[in-house]
Amino acid sequence: MSADLPSGFWSGWIIVLTLFSLACVAWLVWSLYFGKDIDEHPEVEPVWDGNLQEGHNAPPLWWFWMIFGALVFSLMYMMFFPALGSNAGILNWSHGKRLSDSYENFDANFAGVRAEIVSMSLVEIQNDLDLMDTAERIFRRECSVCHGPEGRGQANLFPNLHDVDWQWGASAEQIEQSIRGGRSANMIAWQAMLGEEGVEQVAEYILTLDVGGDASLPGQAVYQQSCTACHGPDGAGNPLLGAPRLSDDIWLYGGDFETIKASITNGRFGIMPAFGHRLDDVQIKLLIALLVR
Amino acid sequence: MNGLTIHRKIEEHTGLLIFGILIVSAIGGLVQLLPVLNQESLETATSNTRPYTAAQLTGRDIYIREGCSVCHSQQVRPLIAELERYGPYSRAGEFVYDRPFLWGSKRTGPDLHRLGGKYSDDWHRIHLLDPRAVVAESIMPAYPWLDKRSAKETGNITAKFIALRRLGHPYSDEDISGAEAELEGLTEMDALIAYLQVLGTGLSGEDEGAAL
Ligand code: HEC
Ligand code: HEC
Ligand code: HEC
Repeated sequence: MSADLPSGFWSGWIIVLTLFSLACVAWLVWSLYFGKDIDEHPEVEPVWDGNLQEGHNAPPLWWFWMIFGALVFSLMYMMFFPALGSNAGILNWSHGKRLSDSYENFDANFAGVRAEIVSMSLVEIQNDLDLMDTAERIFRRECSVCHGPEGRGQANLFPNLHDVDWQWGASAEQIEQSIRGGRSANMIAWQAMLGEEGVEQVAEYILTLDVGGDASLPGQAVYQQSCTACHGPDGAGNPLLGAPRLSDDIWLYGGDFETIKASITNGRFGIMPAFGHRLDDVQIKLLIALLVR
Repeated sequence: MNGLTIHRKIEEHTGLLIFGILIVSAIGGLVQLLPVLNQESLETATSNTRPYTAAQLTGRDIYIREGCSVCHSQQVRPLIAELERYGPYSRAGEFVYDRPFLWGSKRTGPDLHRLGGKYSDDWHRIHLLDPRAVVAESIMPAYPWLDKRSAKETGNITAKFIALRRLGHPYSDEDISGAEAELEGLTEMDALIAYLQVLGTGLSGEDEGAAL
């Protein structure tokens, strides 16, 4: 990685102006201390209003040394670091190099532990309290704003990840897919197709799915016609489509009549963002171990 | 000639004094700013950086109006801790269409530069209306008025587009004539979320390999 430094004319411009102004400061300080003294040449000091004349008090010596020290420091700094135009400096320092050094350092310290995690089974990770602690920290940092601090869901939009109901599947592979690629559920709005009455009928029917579905309800026919393709004939759902089980009492958006009606009327489009590029393989594996049973 | 003679000259000629002060105070800018203004790599847009759409630009103005920068920065620094937390560090070329850029320096809340795509629109909506609804310990203020106001009332979008085009942003005539229509039916909340979702999405893999 080579640094993005100014080049050509502007490099020379920076070098000349910087060194020139340093030289001016050096000359000014020098001439204040070692130049000819006013007392020897009273004629150069102006006299104002006939008799007002500035006396001559040299600035204190510590001030001189401070400026002198600062000058020496800036010269050294410009030699070691990229300060003068396209000159990269003796240390060859750059932001990019510091960053890659940090990552080398990180690898040197953690490559062993990380390789070990990659080779461990999920059960082994689950039995390691330290690793689970780390997994929980990652979860709190990345996931808790939606799924809640303990992953128990919140706001009737973000699912509980600790219940038995998995919209997109409970296996390690399916959970990995949910985290890496994200999920985007798509249930269209049914209002236009079913009408207000149809929606109410099918909502009523859905509420009976937990006891097998009341076939005497008018909603049954609607359900069989429009909903089974995704939610299954008995409401068991379909993890391939992210269609939730409707025959239990676990609801993402809510299981009361009004909310179910709203789900059907307006459709639902839950989005779980993809984390494949935000988290690395080790972090994702730890999260899977945290969530899978 | 020694320092004292020059000193005397300068003290006696105000014009000379003013000139000298100007030169001295300009040196910093001449060395630091002028070369950077002419450094091409800093003003070339990264490959996925696009001029803001009408909704995004309006969202940006709402972001400025509500003072979000008071608590949020928009610059990921090139330090390992920041890369691990937020994603790739910010490049100069990602801000070419920001006038002014909103880098900020205060982080009461997290940096927002790599926010685009991190959360869903739904999450942002809930969070902006009431941060405590999703982050129990949040100290961020609520912005309940955002979804009551129409995005069209947030300034004259056509005039903004024309002004930006004059500054070199590549808006076409159709962009400008269609700007007003794009805001049709959007609330300020929608516009702000459109802006938040495009933050930090201007980088491609190719840019990430570029030198620092
Ligand atoms: C194309 C597949 C598909 C069809 C057809 C479909 N759904 Fe859905 N349904 C889904 C998906 C996917 C979700 C999850 C939405 C989400 O998570 O945002 C869902 C969610 C729901 C929910 C919300 C569940 C909860 O936990 O809150 C209800 C209620 C529902 N559907 C009812 C119906 C009814 C009634 C029909 C038939 C009229 C139907 N669905 C047809 C795919 C479908
Ligand atoms: C922007 C909010 C948001 C964030 C952040 C988020 N999720 Fe999700 N997640 C969701 C939503 C919404 C769903 C449900 C999608 C749907 O409606 O089908 C979901 C679904 C899931 C599922 C599938 C659940 C099921 O029943 O099959 C898993 C697993 C999951 N998330 C894990 C995570 C993990 C791990 C993280 C942190 C790395 C995370 N989520 C971060 C919003 C979020
Ligand atoms: C008083 C300071 C403050 C102000 C003003 C403020 N925020 Fe925040 N913001 C926070 C804090 C603290 C958090 C972290 C807690 C949370 O997520 O709510 C946060 C978090 C966020 C997040 C989530 C970031 C992430 O990566 O998790 C977003 C997005 C956000 N703020 C947007 C905004 C917007 C947009 C505005 C202006 C309308 C704004 N904030 C104004 C303090 C503030």
